Amino acid sequence: MTTRRTFLSASAVGGLSLVSAKEESRQRELPQELYNILQKVQNHLFPKGTLLPSASLFGATDFLQETLYHSSYDRDIRNFVLRGAKELRDTHKGELLNYNEEQMEKALRNFEETKMGSNWLSRVMILSIEALLSDPIYGGNFQELGWKALETTGGSPRPTSRYVAL
Amino acid sequence: MRDKYDAIIVGSGASGGAVAYQLCKAGYRVALLEKGRLIRREEFSKDELAYCRRDIVTPNLFDEYHTIEEKIDGAWVETPTFESGWSFWNGNIVGGSSNLMSGMLHRMHPDDFRLKTVYGEIEGANIEDWAISYEELEPYYTLAEELVGISGKAQPHPYKAPRSTKDFPQAPTQESAITKLFDRSCKALGVTPLITPRAVLSQDRGERLACYYSNFCGSYGCSSGAKGSSREAFIAPALATGNLTLLTNSHVTKLHSTQKEVTEVEVVNTLTLASQKLSAKIFVLALQAHESSRLLLNSANKFHPQGLSNSSGEVGKNLIFSAGGAGGGTFYRKSMKKKDFEALMQRGLFVNRSLLDWYIQKNWLGGKKKGGLVEFMFEHQNNISRAISTRYSNSRLLWGKELAQAMHSSFTQSKKIRFEIFNDWLPTDDCFLSLDTKRKDKYGMSVGKLRIHGHPHDMSVAKRIAKECEKVLQEMGAEDIYSSLSSTPPQNLIAGGCRFGDDPKRAVLNKNCQSFDIANLFVADASFMPTGGSTPYTWTIYANALRVGDIIIKSKKLS
Repeated sequence: MTTRRTFLSASAVGGLSLVSAKEESRQRELPQELYNILQKVQNHLFPKGTLLPSASLFGATDFLQETLYHSSYDRDIRNFVLRGAKELRDTHKGELLNYNEEQMEKALRNFEETKMGSNWLSRVMILSIEALLSDPIYGGNFQELGWKALETTGGSPRPTSRYVAL
Repeated sequence: MRDKYDAIIVGSGASGGAVAYQLCKAGYRVALLEKGRLIRREEFSKDELAYCRRDIVTPNLFDEYHTIEEKIDGAWVETPTFESGWSFWNGNIVGGSSNLMSGMLHRMHPDDFRLKTVYGEIEGANIEDWAISYEELEPYYTLAEELVGISGKAQPHPYKAPRSTKDFPQAPTQESAITKLFDRSCKALGVTPLITPRAVLSQDRGERLACYYSNFCGSYGCSSGAKGSSREAFIAPALATGNLTLLTNSHVTKLHSTQKEVTEVEVVNTLTLASQKLSAKIFVLALQAHESSRLLLNSANKFHPQGLSNSSGEVGKNLIFSAGGAGGGTFYRKSMKKKDFEALMQRGLFVNRSLLDWYIQKNWLGGKKKGGLVEFMFEHQNNISRAISTRYSNSRLLWGKELAQAMHSSFTQSKKIRFEIFNDWLPTDDCFLSLDTKRKDKYGMSVGKLRIHGHPHDMSVAKRIAKECEKVLQEMGAEDIYSSLSSTPPQNLIAGGCRFGDDPKRAVLNKNCQSFDIANLFVADASFMPTGGSTPYTWTIYANALRVGDIIIKSKKLS
């Protein structure tokens, strides 16, 4: 079977970094430039003017940041998300943030051609969908716009704390 | 010195709760040890992110994991589950995974207790008859039905297990409009649709309130108490007796013993990591099959160098799962009358239909063969997972307008129905648990290594049944019909490892689920099962654990 680690290893630029829980728990926020890159990517995946709310409206990047650094989140996947953002930054020599929509589409479709790129985009997509449709208590799904767009709702009762008040 | 407890039960899931209930009701002092925390009824919510997408009610796989051995290109390959992400934990909270079940419960058929005698041996499979008959377990199926609160309707069918009572204690839960179409289609094909017995109350009963049709049942704890989890059905009333001490965050890492009896359990507090030893007159393991075997093997000592209760060398052997697979089809708004489609889209109601017509195959491959059960249900209504499933088209990731269109269409213009097939996972020499002595978990215990192999016969049965299910969906007018069968096991349906039997050289437990080697040790979870039948195990686990509780009481071991 394709294991999670095989999947991440095959995708890795510099191999897996098995950081200890202690080391990782200190950092709670994305470096600003990586935050900006992820925001740019998510805004492209969920732009304004579709049947769904835009990433900026439903709070995709703040959700992603908080999720990646929560203790319940797989630390290898977190590192993988960070590595992918760095890879995009380096491939485009720091220009990605200045790209227009057309350039961005080309950059991401090119990235998708690589094994790492396709896995990374899929992972960022999953994190974005989690932001779109999880209970608003997690900071995404602003005003339940994700649920409303899909004519759905969460189950009842709704959570009153994040992650069952771990 | 008088023990503080008469009995210590390790694990509070379906079996642990049921044994605790029996003993506490009979007046004995019981300590019920649960590795996880207590989540009370009022604390449960339908939080998809927490319960379905993160390890909130199961251990972090970097701390505690299993090693899985699968045959790849002819060689056994080991993969720790922290690498695969394939968790073999199932709800480490008070009440265990019974909190999270969908509650589709069935009794095993009398033939399931005599598989070898009725259907004969199959090459490469270690089939054995059970040490008890259906008739011996029937009173406990009935007792479980009453205590758990299984709703349903007694309907005649040649492959249904006989009942000693006229009908279920409660009427079936409310059903979706699709059941009319389902029933009509089955009848057109000469198939008998049956109402699924469900461990969900359709009416209030005491402190437990009826189902409120939340649309999110399986994978979630129940907020009304309707679902007959071990916590609701057994632990709550056991606590009310005043005889139960519920110890949460209490992980048992070792059983201490002499040659003839277990003396103490070593318990680690999972929050503080402080350890203590607890003693009692008898000890009952109820950790779930693979973990009970692991604890016995990890408890090896000078008296029992191969592990406790393992003089036969059979602990961990003949692990079984539920074989089968799933399939489904889709109804599209564009292909249906408006009112029919809107009726389908009504949220929360159950499909509540199962098929037993292929449970016994009267004339297949030259004779009578064992088949399996089929359950029908809607696709799980989890929003995130449904949305994620729309993200690809022709292996290309969708985004922007294309993704929005695909997702919107999937949510608003279609309704998916699924079927799940349950058939026997034949026990073999290549499906067992041993200790991975190279790997330790955070508590210093050797990790459980599960070698997994499905007998080819299992898949051939599933394929045959899947074809019949596809015909039903076709008759219903579903589109995009598919079957997805594989020999990958469902990790939540696991049994075997400590078979019961009459021969101490070939079984770990006697017919009472008592260790042959150690008289004050019982194993009450699904470990005892030599074969698993073709149904989900839960009702059988509840029934057998109630039986074991009765046996312990009658044995006077607690006096």
